[in-house]
Amino acid sequence: MTREHGRILTLIEWDEGRGRPACLELTILARRLAQECGAIPCALLLGCGLAEASEEIARYAEEVYVIENALLGDFQADLYAAALTVVGRSLAPGAILMAHTYNAMEIAPKVACRLGSELVTGCISVEKDEQGGLLCSKQVYGGHAVAVFQTKGEMPAIITLEPRNSGCAGPIESPGRIIPFACELDGSLALTQSISIIPEGSAGLDLADVVVAGGRGAGTPEGITLLEELAQTLRRRFARVEIGASRALVDAGLFSRARQIGQTGETVSPEVYVAVAISGSTQHVGGMAGSKTVVAINKNSDAPIFEVADYGAVGTLESILPAFIRQLEDLA
Amino acid sequence: MKALKIVVCLKSVPDPEGPRSAFQVDVEAKQVVPVGIPPVINPYGENALELALRLKELCGGSIIAINLSDKAVTPVLKKALSVGANELILLEDPSFRNLGSRSTAEVLCAAIGKIGGCDLVLTGRQAVDWENGNVGLFLGEMLGIPAVNLVRSVEPEETTITVQRLKRVGYEVIRCPLPAVLTVSSEAGELRLPTLKAIQEVRKKPVTTWRAADLGIEATGLETRRIFSLSPPPSKSRDCRYVEGESSEDKGKNLALRLREDGVV
Repeated sequence: MTREHGRILTLIEWDEGRGRPACLELTILARRLAQECGAIPCALLLGCGLAEASEEIARYAEEVYVIENALLGDFQADLYAAALTVVGRSLAPGAILMAHTYNAMEIAPKVACRLGSELVTGCISVEKDEQGGLLCSKQVYGGHAVAVFQTKGEMPAIITLEPRNSGCAGPIESPGRIIPFACELDGSLALTQSISIIPEGSAGLDLADVVVAGGRGAGTPEGITLLEELAQTLRRRFARVEIGASRALVDAGLFSRARQIGQTGETVSPEVYVAVAISGSTQHVGGMAGSKTVVAINKNSDAPIFEVADYGAVGTLESILPAFIRQLEDLA
Repeated sequence: MKALKIVVCLKSVPDPEGPRSAFQVDVEAKQVVPVGIPPVINPYGENALELALRLKELCGGSIIAINLSDKAVTPVLKKALSVGANELILLEDPSFRNLGSRSTAEVLCAAIGKIGGCDLVLTGRQAVDWENGNVGLFLGEMLGIPAVNLVRSVEPEETTITVQRLKRVGYEVIRCPLPAVLTVSSEAGELRLPTLKAIQEVRKKPVTTWRAADLGIEATGLETRRIFSLSPPPSKSRDCRYVEGESSEDKGKNLALRLREDGVV
């Protein structure tokens, strides 16, 4: 990254007036990269009614660019991509960082195409490269290898990063400047039209603090009840506890696909992952290996899940879980 | 509802269900070498194909499966024909080895032009090898048509389609004019099994191979992935602490006590 690309820009997605945690934690990375490159760590907010969010984000970046536009009130990929393209051309940052959210997955390629930028998606880390670009690491082949991609540093590199659930960013010493950014948008740029948003289906496992996941052996009425009881007990201590499932349980129709964890389902990295009667196929492990602490309960002591677990208990879920849940309740 | 001409982009990948030992990392060559596992169609590509088949059942029309590679795994890709695709086009050229997403989209774009365009392009949301998820959206930009990612269902109308796109929580219903590109997620459902009738018909269905030159593509203009290094994953050296107990009930109890002691819960 050369000096003339003097900014590292983080796109901040927001919900109900607050920056999303996955985006806020990116500001730490932006600040580190900016320091290494002698650049300014900046943030970008797109939307409508952003006064409150701008104030919040100013605690995390030296410059906060804000595009207020009624057309950006709800996410529409073409309009967001158009606004981001204007900002990318105008500020010419060395890098644009985005959290690897469903929305970013849609706009990042569109913007990269329009700017002629290099694009690396789903990264786990980014380092400055002595050659002038960036080294972007990501898991490939379902976590069986880690690839480092090298950007050339000619145009803003666009990089999306997997959430790390780091618990967010420390604020900077003095709040950054809020800079309104003028951006004319034409509604006809939107090639698709949103009809409605149906708030169900996807389970938001990516945001869970704790995931209680069941495998084939938990696919009985008793097993499912025990999973739910365990989740309910853990909700006393954790804000967001979700139930996940292996592909076997999803294919059996016991859980929605939104709860499927693995390479062909959701990727999660919660504080605590409790794997109940999950053997631990590579397919499954690829979706949960990033969990901070893994607790495995399985009747088979050779199950590969124990290789990626921090705590293990060998036995059937019917015999272990009730006592486990009772003891957790007693401790609460 | 008019009959739809649907292109489905299918990539072959090493079977993601294979064991860890099947994925050898050749650090020197910067590539993953699958050992003892067969190639399969990218699972998300299969979801895209399933969606295409349902649309064809509803509206009629045709499905053209397109694969891009330096060396096509034809028998695996013919699965598309055995479940009901009408035609398989192999974009096969040594210069297509290790292409980056942008060049991949450029070649696919040229092929779609050569077949005279289509109403709908479906891709998987990402391929399970490099996990980029870029090609479909690049295609939309290059073709100058709408592109929607993470689609789980499609309903055809007269000149538009209504799609359900995954949101973080729930999904969004989006109306999209045709032609369009959709990247399809696993929520669309698994690919159906081949029927006996379709298997018998596979031999009659055309399989066409186009080289770079057939598409008017200069190998020198193609970009390969800029991989700095490739390494095995950091060893999952989690040291599993087994919780003991006289009985399973004791183990359950001790597990809770241990987790509390260590500040996990």
